[in-house]
Order: sequence, then C-alpha cells, then structure tokens
Amino acid sequence: MRPVVVSGVGMIPFERRDEDSLVDMMAMAGLRAMDDAGLGDRPVDSVYVGNMASGLFNHQVSVASALVDRLSLMPAAADRVENGPASGGSAVKNGFLAVASGFNDVVLVIGGEKMREVIGPRATDIVACMTHPLAEYIYGVTLPAMAGMFTRLYMEKYGVTRKHLTEVAVKNQENGLLNPYAHIQMKITMEGTLTHPQAHVNNPVVADPIHLYDCCPVSDGAAAVLLTTEEIAKELSKPSVYIAGVGQATDTHTLQERSDPTELKAVQIASQKAFEMAELTPQDIDVAELHDAFTILEIAESEQAGFFPLGEGGKAVDAGETRIGGSLPINPSGGLKARGHPVGATGVAQVVELVWQLRNEAGEHQVEDASKGFSLNFGGFGNNVLAFVLRREG
Amino acid sequence: MNKITAYKCNNCGQIMYPHHFRCLSCYGRDFEEINPEGKAKLITYTVVNELPWGIDERGRVLGVVKFDNNVKALGVINVDKPKIGMKLIAGWEPVRVIGGQKVYGLSFSKA
Repeated sequence: MRPVVVSGVGMIPFERRDEDSLVDMMAMAGLRAMDDAGLGDRPVDSVYVGNMASGLFNHQVSVASALVDRLSLMPAAADRVENGPASGGSAVKNGFLAVASGFNDVVLVIGGEKMREVIGPRATDIVACMTHPLAEYIYGVTLPAMAGMFTRLYMEKYGVTRKHLTEVAVKNQENGLLNPYAHIQMKITMEGTLTHPQAHVNNPVVADPIHLYDCCPVSDGAAAVLLTTEEIAKELSKPSVYIAGVGQATDTHTLQERSDPTELKAVQIASQKAFEMAELTPQDIDVAELHDAFTILEIAESEQAGFFPLGEGGKAVDAGETRIGGSLPINPSGGLKARGHPVGATGVAQVVELVWQLRNEAGEHQVEDASKGFSLNFGGFGNNVLAFVLRREG
Repeated sequence: MNKITAYKCNNCGQIMYPHHFRCLSCYGRDFEEINPEGKAKLITYTVVNELPWGIDERGRVLGVVKFDNNVKALGVINVDKPKIGMKLIAGWEPVRVIGGQKVYGLSFSKA
C-alpha cells in the first residue's frame, strides 16, 4: 500500500445551524480542507461523504452527488458512506483505501449531519432506528437506554462511579471552552451536576444511571479531510501528517447476544489492527480522540483500546491523567460531549482534530509536543468500530 | 402468552435470539426453533425518561433477561424497584404503536 497523507483539513463550528442546509455545511467544510491544503484548481479524483440519515433528518438523499455539484468537483467520483455513528470513520477509511491502493491520488472525505431540523424526540427515534427492529426498537430502546444498561454493568463489574462519569463530563466541557468549533461552550462543576442536593435539577436522569450531562448534544455540523499521496503532499503547503494505521471490527447487533456485554470486542480488535498497521503501541500515543457519546464510553474505550488496564480508566480520569497536560490527554477538543455529535461528521472531525494537534495548530487546547494521535469512532452500540493512528512526519 | 421465537443450533447447541442465518458460534445453518422457557433472570436494566417519538410516557424500565433455557432477550420490565439478578415472569403486551397498529412484545413482572 502507498503511504496516505492528510494534506488538508477543515471544519465548520458544530452547533444548531438553522440557516445552512446539510449540503451547504458539507461544502463549507470541504472548501476549508481544500484551501487548507492549498489545492488550488488541482482536480479531486473521488469524494466520500460520511452521513447516516439525510433521508430521515432532511428529506434528501444522494447527497454525495449534490455535494460534488455544489463544489463543482465534477467529474470526480462521489459516494455516500453510511455506517451509523461510524459513517465518518468509514468514509475516511474508504478514502484511505482509494489513495493507498493507487486507485486515486487526491480524495476529499467529508462527514456531515443536520440533526436539528427535527424535534428532539424525533431525532431520538431516528437514531434508535439503528437498533434491531424486532428485538430492540419496538420496546422504545434509545441509544441513551443502551448506554444506561451498559453503564450499570460496567459500574458493577469495574467499580466505575457516578463521580468518574461526571469528571469526564466536567473535563470535556472545560476542553470545549478552549475549542471555537465546539457546540457546548459552558463550564459545569461537580457541585452543580453531582454533589449539590439539588444537582438533579440541573442534571436529570435520562436513562438511569445516565444523566443529562453524561450525554453528547444533538448537533449540526460538518468536517472534511483531503487525502493525497506522499508525492502530492510535498507539492502542497502543509506539513505531512500520515494515516499510519486503520482498523475496523464488528460485533453482534444486539448487546444481549454478547457473552459479556461489558466487553467491547470491536473496540479491542479495531484498535489492535490500527496499532499493528502503524507499528506502534498505545504507550506511543500522545493524544486520543475517543467516541464519548456517553461519558462511560470514554472510560470503557480508554481501557479496551489499550491505554489503561480494565477497571483503571475511571481512576485515570480521577487522577487527571486524561486532562490536557496529563499523561494521555483524551478529547482535548471536548469530544462528542462538548464539540457535539452530528453523527456522520464525528469520525471525520476526530481526524481533523488529530491533524491540528499533530501540526501544533490546535490553539488553546493544544497538547504539547504531540506527534502521534489515535481516534476511535464507535458505531451502533459498539457493533461497528473504526480506529485510526496518525503520525506526524519526523 | 405469545412468545418470541429463538433458535438453537443443531450442530453446537448455541442459543440465539434474534435470528441469524449462520450460527454465531460454529457458523452452522441448521436450527431448531425454540421458545423461552421458565423464569427469567434480570441481567441489566435502565429507567428511560426520554423515550422516542411515538411513546408518550416517562420512566419506562427496559431490561435484558436470561430465561431458564438460556434465551436472552430485551423487554419492558414492569417492576417498581428492579434489581440485577431478580427472577421475573414473562408476559406479552402492547409495547409500542407503529403506523396506528399496536405492536406486541415481551414484558416482565416479579416472579
């Protein structure tokens, strides 16, 4: 396989964006990535669009075709990649394969979702469509409900506490305050969300034991990366950041069929594959962007991707190891928790954040001397997971 | 009660619900259809306050159970104070209305 370089990245702030259509948002992010790379009028060979549910959220399909038209990228090949909450990561993987295989030299990957076009309970229902139609969906299961059942087991088995979960929320919302692209720009405290007798007013139960501030917001947004060969990257304007490792794995559709529902096998296998391809280990990583759609997932993924032993992830948060400046900063961007989770955009936004970190362009939330990064995009409830290892040249 | 249909692999005995075209364990394709039997043990649960569009209630308890014959399934838990490990009895009741039609599914009450 040929080396693949992220030559350009771009995002628009994640928030509620009533004025912009889904295709507008993705076009804006795509332009930013092209301009970041200094691509000029050089043609793009292929466009991969990560999007979960434009047909349901926005009553629009064939969004990849609409997007190349909007950006006047014809006759570039264009495909929409749908893989639930891992749509963005899958789009990046497809772009990676196109360049690595020699099929394409210049590929634009754009992830986007416009979820706030529908009211909250409708968005919850659309997202719940990824659950099993007969064994789960009919009962009113939601993704927070899946997280609630998972959290209860994880707490019982590994001693994770509400304090650990709330510490993840506080940390990531602090990080979000340093990131102008983050949807949630609000500091929260342990007192206001956990320890005060009236904390439940601010932080009500969504799906016990999951509370409001354990959940990511519902966001609109888009992010883009421009992938090229090494040779073309050298002709462009930015320092080279390589996609050094890619891993993907799946697990059973329903949580109930896993022999141990606390074991996230797809996270373990996808991460191992990415590290093996990159010829690196978790100990080599300077910064990680994990899929904290729910606070428990940051802790569980940090363990099952190999950064901390099982049962130690919560303690690492408690000890400040995952803060910016800690031994392994996790989600310096604010993660899904604060940056937001426009579903199809997330896997791409994680890679954008890592590139900014590895180029030393992350601004106030920069992790010092970061040269190797890891991202994890978690689809369904762990039934389709992508992991990436990025490495800065030199 | 009406029941869900689960599947037992005729090659290795693996119990599966929902349906798979190949066995999760040995990849066999020959299954015996079985029903859940006996009492159900609560494996995990959640109390859902924010339910999706179309379910106009708060505080629905959802949980995963394991029946005596090892069938595992999700259902509505009609118990005030659920506890992991508690024994439940299965029922069959409307769990959602979709397209104006009542959809029936598993429900559980205290044994």
